[in-house]
Amino acid sequence: MQIAKSWRRQPSNLRLEGTRCTGCGQLEFPTVIRCAQCGEIEFETYQFAGKGKVIVASTVYEATRDFGEHVPYCAAIIELEEGIHLATMITDVDPADVTVGMEVEMVTRRIAAQGDNGPILYAYKFAPQLQIL
Amino acid sequence: MKIEIAGVGTTKSAEKWELGLLDIAIKAAGKALKDAGSVTPDAVIVANALGGALGDQQNLALHVAGGLGYSHAETYSVCCDEASGGAAVRLASALIRSGMHDTVLVVGAEKTSDALPDMLETVRSAGLDAAREASFGFSPTIAGALGMQHYLSTYHLDKEAFYHIARIAHQHGSTNRNAIFPWALDRKQYLKSPIVATPLSVCDNAPPCDGAAAAILKKGSVQTSNVCILGSANTSDRKGIVFPITSLQLPAATQSATMALKEAGSQLSDMSLMELHDANTFLAALSIEAVGLAQPGKALERAQTDDFLLTGTMPLWTFGGHKSRGLAPGASGMYQLVEAVLELRGDAGENQITNANKALVQCLGSFGAQAVTHVLG
Repeated sequence: MQIAKSWRRQPSNLRLEGTRCTGCGQLEFPTVIRCAQCGEIEFETYQFAGKGKVIVASTVYEATRDFGEHVPYCAAIIELEEGIHLATMITDVDPADVTVGMEVEMVTRRIAAQGDNGPILYAYKFAPQLQIL
Repeated sequence: MKIEIAGVGTTKSAEKWELGLLDIAIKAAGKALKDAGSVTPDAVIVANALGGALGDQQNLALHVAGGLGYSHAETYSVCCDEASGGAAVRLASALIRSGMHDTVLVVGAEKTSDALPDMLETVRSAGLDAAREASFGFSPTIAGALGMQHYLSTYHLDKEAFYHIARIAHQHGSTNRNAIFPWALDRKQYLKSPIVATPLSVCDNAPPCDGAAAAILKKGSVQTSNVCILGSANTSDRKGIVFPITSLQLPAATQSATMALKEAGSQLSDMSLMELHDANTFLAALSIEAVGLAQPGKALERAQTDDFLLTGTMPLWTFGGHKSRGLAPGASGMYQLVEAVLELRGDAGENQITNANKALVQCLGSFGAQAVTHVLG
């Protein structure tokens, strides 16, 4: 993860910002340059609420480079409240306890580091929604 | 215009410590040229998915042509993830159909054993959505695990149901001397194999290997006895792993197969065999359903029967598929094509099926977002 690339992706990675098409209203995450639905090229920034539910989850034991420190971790597809499907890690919970339909919310966490001296990427993961007592 | 496949050649799928990427590409090319007799290609196209990202030779086709001693050949290197082989063949066909060239050498080559497993999986992941998936630790294997989990829960199946996909491939690969894992796989081995990402285990994944496969394509003559390309299609659909996992569908694979069959003037039932993409058992099951060999959710049920065996009604992965022969990503589509040609020529040895007339060959790139299909006969 080069520094410029990480910086460029900050709005989506740290604030869950995507786009809303000014032509047809289609929501996209992360941002798009041209609307695949209507062809519009003008967009408004749209900040997703950061809440959703788990559609499917897997406990990962063999990771790609830079992700070995997280093993075992939960990889999942979630559905955001706005209807977008997202591939993400589920954190702050034992991977074995993640269930289909579990309500989750965005948190910012360390994703990966490029070697011992390289930049550290922080971005979204999702954690079980906190219950207000 | 007919496109003939005048010669084919492969290297054994293995960890070839003594040979580099360029070496194995030239070795397979040399075998195909020898098989074709005295031909000099006008163009050389090389399919390779990972070489550049692994720090290996780039602009590979130029260097293969040079290694073969061709100083005036037109060269192209094709990089379409695990659909590279099929895409290279389609590009070669286009060059011939357009009248630009009469004879084209197509080589698929991949060198995976120079990289450590985690690095290899990282580079393979670059074929997914780099910003949303690969950079968040998702890989084709993890995607396969999520897909498998969703498939099992949607259709109320046990993980053991996927065993039959691996069983068929290994049964066929057990008599393929070019396979990296040429042995039968029993149920106990499958169920005991280590989990990579739940519920997907080592035995669900095709093993990466070094390998190259090549074919000589030429403008067809009316009376040719060579195997010909009857139809082909290269289609794409929504990128990313989310759609195939959540929908359990591969629209690109369906459309690509439909278009290729239409161009060939053939029906699915006309096929004598099929080579489908089995980089993992989940993609294999979806491919079976996508081309129309089973209704949604029924691929594994059909795999339990003898239908897909060499003696069955629709043999699949007749040389062991990627699962047993090995997965050389950028070359995988070329292996499929060469193996289908050997079947249709009657040169498949112990893996020969009876009455082989037509074959459908399909490779997938970027977890099914791209599909290239060829119908041969």
